[in-house]
Amino acid sequence: MQFARSRPSTPAAALGAAAVLGVATTGCFGGGSAGDQRLSVELAFPPVMQMSPYSDDAAQLGRLGAAEPLVEVDDEGAPQPLLAESWGRNGDGTWELILRDDVTFHDGTAMTADHAADALNHATEASPKPRALAGVELSAEAVGERTLRVRTDEADPILPQRLSAPELAILGPSAYEDDPAIPDPTGAGTGPYELTEVSQTTATLEPHQDYWDGAPQAAGIDVRFVEDGASRVGALRAGEADIVDAVPVTELANITDQNVLEVPLPRTVGVLLNNDTGAFTDPALRAAAADAIDSEPIVEEIYEGRADTVDGIYGPVNDWAHDRPEVEPETEPSDPGGEPITLATYSDRAELPEAASAVADDLRGSGFEVDVVVQEFATMETDLLEGSYDAVIGARSYLLDTNDPVGYLASDWGCDGSYNLAQFCDEDIDERISRAAAATDVEARIEAAVEIEAEILATHSFVPLAAERARIGVAEGVEGVAEDPLERHLVTEETATP
Amino acid sequence: MALVWCVGLSFLIGALPWLSGNDPARTVLRARSAEREADPEALRSVREELDLPTTPVSGTLDWLGGAASGDLGVSWVTGAPIAPDIASALGVSVSLASFAALVALATGVLVVLPGLLRAARTGHQGGRGADVTGALLASVPDFLLASVFVAVVAVRWGAAPTSGWESPAHAVLPALALGIPAGGLISRVLSGALGAALAESWTRTWRATGFGPATLALALLRRTLAVALPQVMLVFAGLLGSSVLVESVFAIPGLGHTALEGTLAQDLPKVQGAVATLVLVGLLAGGLGIAAHRLLLGPALANSGMTPAVPIVPAANRLPFVIGAVLLLGVAVGLVRDPDTVTLAARLEPPSVDHPLGTDALGRDMLARFGHGALLSAGAGVAVSLVALLVGGVVGVCGARARTGAADVLNALPPVLVGVLLAAVTGPGLAGAAVAVALVAWIPIAVHARTLAAEVRASGYHQAAVAGGAGGGWILRRHLLPSVLPVVARHALMRVPHNTLSLAGLSFLGLGAAHDSPEWGVMLAESMPYVERAPWAVAVPAAGLALLGVVASLLRTERR
Repeated sequence: MQFARSRPSTPAAALGAAAVLGVATTGCFGGGSAGDQRLSVELAFPPVMQMSPYSDDAAQLGRLGAAEPLVEVDDEGAPQPLLAESWGRNGDGTWELILRDDVTFHDGTAMTADHAADALNHATEASPKPRALAGVELSAEAVGERTLRVRTDEADPILPQRLSAPELAILGPSAYEDDPAIPDPTGAGTGPYELTEVSQTTATLEPHQDYWDGAPQAAGIDVRFVEDGASRVGALRAGEADIVDAVPVTELANITDQNVLEVPLPRTVGVLLNNDTGAFTDPALRAAAADAIDSEPIVEEIYEGRADTVDGIYGPVNDWAHDRPEVEPETEPSDPGGEPITLATYSDRAELPEAASAVADDLRGSGFEVDVVVQEFATMETDLLEGSYDAVIGARSYLLDTNDPVGYLASDWGCDGSYNLAQFCDEDIDERISRAAAATDVEARIEAAVEIEAEILATHSFVPLAAERARIGVAEGVEGVAEDPLERHLVTEETATP
Repeated sequence: MALVWCVGLSFLIGALPWLSGNDPARTVLRARSAEREADPEALRSVREELDLPTTPVSGTLDWLGGAASGDLGVSWVTGAPIAPDIASALGVSVSLASFAALVALATGVLVVLPGLLRAARTGHQGGRGADVTGALLASVPDFLLASVFVAVVAVRWGAAPTSGWESPAHAVLPALALGIPAGGLISRVLSGALGAALAESWTRTWRATGFGPATLALALLRRTLAVALPQVMLVFAGLLGSSVLVESVFAIPGLGHTALEGTLAQDLPKVQGAVATLVLVGLLAGGLGIAAHRLLLGPALANSGMTPAVPIVPAANRLPFVIGAVLLLGVAVGLVRDPDTVTLAARLEPPSVDHPLGTDALGRDMLARFGHGALLSAGAGVAVSLVALLVGGVVGVCGARARTGAADVLNALPPVLVGVLLAAVTGPGLAGAAVAVALVAWIPIAVHARTLAAEVRASGYHQAAVAGGAGGGWILRRHLLPSVLPVVARHALMRVPHNTLSLAGLSFLGLGAAHDSPEWGVMLAESMPYVERAPWAVAVPAAGLALLGVVASLLRTERR
């Protein structure tokens, strides 16, 4: 009896104490504010390395207009002037670039060839070396106020394309002061917007009034990093965001009052059949699988018609992909007769697991016995690369930093390729890839690439499913959002909100 | 004690790359640059830069050396110091988890309040309405609640921000999404405690002496809260590292997210830092729960002043049989239909004559999948609950004195870490997932049993039996089990849907039921992206789980 009377108010006190605990810790909320003309942008990927250009953050810097490389490439893959006005190749295989004279970094320092040389030389020492420089020894030196000389160990036919990589953005000297291995781009870029603050959840950019290509339209950019696609679309629909990145296919039907920009990408989804072990070492079974898989319903239903059909590795976004020579299948299909196979894909992209179910259904219909494995990419990467599965559904960009289709062939279809999910190795094709890689002429490289592609398709080691599109959600009235198939630009100096 | 746990876990985490068989140079490189070719030169460069340990022990020793002097090291992926990141994530998670725990407690109290008020007036708590409500709430997946809140409250009504963590308004929806299902579970504990309190002699004495209903209601509330508060602290500590799905929906930078990211990238210093923090906070929270129980019971707990009795449970009516029959009928009809045929042209169709419950994203018949998945879903959930009851009951009843320990540590561990470690040991499949979930599922049961057993031991009759020379077995049979077991068993049964959902939550690691399996948790996860467009595809498995939860919670657990 005693205990009930001794402290009658204790439940209330306990609740109160818990409330205080909760309220006291709300000190951990960050503050946020936005002006009228500022752009509110939601991106899918939070910074992975403090916005260092030597990581995937490089793409974000470019897409937000914070940093720029020397060169850019147009839709045909040809290099175009950016921070460098012009360039040419010397007789000794080095390249000389003439830089613009009106570029200032965000902290006010005028850009010189010395700065550009430093930026490039720092990039060659990054760990690991940026993707665009993999396998290349490069050094840069200033030979004049605005003249930059770039030397490579072996003559490099596509150096200007290489220099267009976002990872080779030119940052001012302040970026390298603290830790040259992780350059700090705040206040050090040249783009229309200056990155002023960045955390794991938000970034703030202010306009760079002295931008060499004209003052930016918006009064600033407030970026939030939101990994969940439905939440980004929610923010767009609720009017909280002006631009959202990577709209999932599943959300398209929910967007009624806003626009979705769709940009065909050089990115193909397909089934890679394991050439090294298991059922698909038999070319006739590969042919049977290729015959069984029907990609059209996948494009029409799973991608809801918001992707493109594709006949090979290279997709319709590149006109040259249509010049692919006739594919002559090597073998006739045979009857699978209940052959057991394992089909794997990763869950990081929502459409892939569904595509896997559809492909598995097709294969079962033709007489395979199919086991489907779906995991997060990070936990299955080793197994994927070691060829633990008979078939893998993957999405892959074939034009990376150099906007050149040959590099992809070497890594994905070369005997020593580092991302050879099909465990493909054909000495003849290997030889042809090496030869194509040495060609200087862009036309010749493309011609070689589509010929090699046809050879690979003839082995039935790759069954194309769909060519992806980028989908950018844009609020009503927002203008000037860049539609870039290489996904290097999003917000530019011309982007504005009403 | 806490130190031993932290050191032991650090070594376990240090061995992660060896257990998982994944090269940390590769996972770190992938985290930094998703499409960078992992050529040998790049991997060598990363390995040299990070100075990756060559044995599982050496790296951990280095890290512990630094941690001892307050330096948690530098993240392998970002190159930034760990400590500030962990501190800010901890701040966020502590706020979120305390709000959620508050919501859970309030929800629990609201659910049992009608019964409690009636009991204060009449001496009986009435029917089993509170149990049904509690079971329904407990079986709602928090991630489903989160998505619905975003779609309805934030987008349609504009009544709250969609995501982010910038002001207290941002905390409302996530706290509700996490707190309401947890509140359902808390209500179970509260209502069990209420039944027991009503059987205690003091309530009769008070009523006979003429105390008013208000006084009695307050006393009963306090008596039941004493049993529930340790559970609330468990909810708090558990949410710190495991509210990943809800954190993701609302883009909240909490510790669960930190642990997930770090584990997948094998950013060992980050995982070690996060886990050490979670373990310390978990032990602290567990200690606070025990202290709250002692405080609320006052001197009675120490001075043999308790009179716990066999709980009075109102008789269940025919409801469980009716619901069970509905469930079985649905399963039976579904079983004769074809669950596997993929018809992409008929995807996401609403209920119709051909497909009475509609179709899923691949055009498969929902009713058929519901039927074919029933046995697997219920079976796995029930199996985990039974293991939890057995282990939790034994640990809770036999543990001599309440103190923090293994339970609090396991409760605080991020599920993704447990999952990755287990996947390395057991390989993919349902067994690994069941072990991972069971590892945590016994804890609330053990804490509940421990709380109740402590009260029995503090009773006069227990003291009398001890003084009278009764053996341990006799006391266990005659005093401890009759008071503790029925209540705890019903708690365990109510957790069946919760366990099923936890099993499905590990599927992204390759644990749990296979892709394409009609298991209800898998069905739910696969249909979540379509929650707005095809609510039926989410509602069918969710309703299955809810009905299963109601039936389980209404089963009789005491002898007639």
